[in-house]
Amino acid sequence: MEAGLIAIGAGLAVGLTALATGLAQSRIGAAAMGVIAERPELTGRAILMLAIPETLVILGFAVAAMAIVLL
Amino acid sequence: MLAHMTQVRIIGHKPELAHALEELYGLGLVELADASETSSTPFAHHGEHQARRDALAFLLAGTDAVLELLPPQPALLGDPVPGPVDTAALHDELDALAPDIETLTGRREALRDELVTLPRYLEPLRRLLPLVPELADLDGPALARLRLDTVTLVLNTDDERVLGALRDELEQAIGDQFELVSTQVDKQAIGCVIVFSHDMAADVHRLLGHEHVRHVALPDPYAHLSIGESVRAMEHRLAALPELIEAAGADLTSLVLPHAEGLRTMRAGTAAELEQVNAIGRTGSTRRTFVALGWVPSSDLTAVRIELETRLGPTVVVEELASSPRDPDAPVLMRNPRWARPFEFFVGFLDLPRAGSVDPTLLTALFLPLMFGVMVGDVAYGVILLALALLARQRFAARSAVLSDLSWVLVAGALWSIMFGVLFGEFFGDLGKRMYGDWSLWMYRPGAEALKPLLLFAIGIGAAHVVLGVVLGAWQAVRSGEHRTLLDKLGTLLVLTGLFGIAGWAADHLPGGVVTPSVGAIIVGLVLVMSLHGALGMVMGPLELIGTLGNVLSYLRLAAVGLASAYLAIVANELGSAGPIWMGVLIAAFFHTLNLALAAFSPMIQALRLHYVEFYSKFLIGGGRPFRPFGQQPGDVPAATP
Repeated sequence: MEAGLIAIGAGLAVGLTALATGLAQSRIGAAAMGVIAERPELTGRAILMLAIPETLVILGFAVAAMAIVLL
Repeated sequence: MLAHMTQVRIIGHKPELAHALEELYGLGLVELADASETSSTPFAHHGEHQARRDALAFLLAGTDAVLELLPPQPALLGDPVPGPVDTAALHDELDALAPDIETLTGRREALRDELVTLPRYLEPLRRLLPLVPELADLDGPALARLRLDTVTLVLNTDDERVLGALRDELEQAIGDQFELVSTQVDKQAIGCVIVFSHDMAADVHRLLGHEHVRHVALPDPYAHLSIGESVRAMEHRLAALPELIEAAGADLTSLVLPHAEGLRTMRAGTAAELEQVNAIGRTGSTRRTFVALGWVPSSDLTAVRIELETRLGPTVVVEELASSPRDPDAPVLMRNPRWARPFEFFVGFLDLPRAGSVDPTLLTALFLPLMFGVMVGDVAYGVILLALALLARQRFAARSAVLSDLSWVLVAGALWSIMFGVLFGEFFGDLGKRMYGDWSLWMYRPGAEALKPLLLFAIGIGAAHVVLGVVLGAWQAVRSGEHRTLLDKLGTLLVLTGLFGIAGWAADHLPGGVVTPSVGAIIVGLVLVMSLHGALGMVMGPLELIGTLGNVLSYLRLAAVGLASAYLAIVANELGSAGPIWMGVLIAAFFHTLNLALAAFSPMIQALRLHYVEFYSKFLIGGGRPFRPFGQQPGDVPAATP
């Protein structure tokens, strides 16, 4: 029972943060495409901006990993 | 690393300016700056230079238009035409070719237009043909003998009521002495054929004109044919058109090909001379001398002096000007060992480092493939990626410098993947373990007991990488004399050191004696960082430190992406082991291919992101301007500057 709850908690930690990341990146990605279409020289920075919200899901993964390892 | 640049001033006799620019162009070692405002008398734009520039630009455009008719070829290097280009000869050659080119291109364009427009007539006629089988093969004279006329209409609507209205109008105009048949020819179009007595022709055409029905006559070759004959003739013509277009293209190629080599040479010479004439506007002058300013790599300065003296004599002087290594106007030239040069593309992709700042190319060349290898971490995937990279290098490297660089980067990443695959004991996921047991040299990564060490390993790489970035930032601050930045970096380092000490003590890896110095380091570091940003520092300082901690934690993605790849491979093997062996191989191959495709892109993007966001942000000063030496871009077509 306890192991199952830990697994659910870990899944929620990653899943919810992944949702948040996806929401953020969808808007940034759309804006980035517009920027790249008009100024291709900004492609590198646009990809950079797109990659920043990934920290959310990584921190979610960290919480999930801590839950699995420490609990 | 960045080559040290020296600003130079080149002075010589005014009449020798054109010759000096030609020699500088041939050297390809000096980037010309704008000296026109620095001299006592601005160099007048003589009419002859303007006229020459316009003539060269015109000839260049004409030559390019002719050469575009041929398959693309790599541009010639340098200036193959010594001295001024013979514009008269080039003009004569282009004039001789122009009439035939115009005729052939006109013919080809007309054929291409016909290929596009003919189906627009053909399709409605094809659909209308079955409606009037009796009239299909009756041409104009035959219809005249029967005293019948026909009108074929395409109504740009799908509303049948329009057709009904047209029928009503015809009945009112000519009674029942007509036959109207219709069919849908398109989603938004109805085609119809009206057959009526020749005596009623005037009334029908008046009605159609009154109702604003536009007549679109068939093209001349088909105007007097019957509907059936028109359809057959158009189909025959459409089948023949692609071959005719190709033949016209071949005629053009055979017309231009004998002149191609000569034109390419003249084109390269014209482009080179145009660039030199444009450069005259960037020079300054005194009464008797010309003055040119420029940048040259310091290591090449002696070579430039010797070459100019050899070619132009002692009347041209190259003077070294005092400039700071961090001059914001200085261009940037990366000079790295051959094995690291492919990684310059990734550095430049984000932002070129400013002159005098740290070039991260060498460190990127070390860490990027390593992080890629940690995430992929599979011997089989590594071998396949290595094979693909070598194949891509062999086939595409000659075509594109970018593809050549990317393939080399993938080779390095694949080698690290193989190495970490051996450490983690992964061969197509757990396939190797299923066959030979746990053969990992360090730990079997997908195993439950490997999670904690893997996370600590990822954080360890992150800590080392981020600390390295902060150290580089501090070193850069020392070199540029930015004391506030230096103290900021030192404060960050102290806090990080203190936090790592406490984390090590909490994990029982360090003795209890480290707690006090660690706490002290954290406090001193916090005070340093907070005090440097004024009143806002009380808030900004801790926020920035939390951000730095977040940067370290961001490296957990090395573990996350790697585990995701490993588990996907395990799933592929699990699914492959269900069912008959042939099906299992197919299923496993499909999922492994998918995983490989992900493994080729996702780890590279994640590793790049870690470099761009977590690493470069600690020290990289961007905004560098690339070094563009005068004369070294043979593909450039300089437009005539106003």
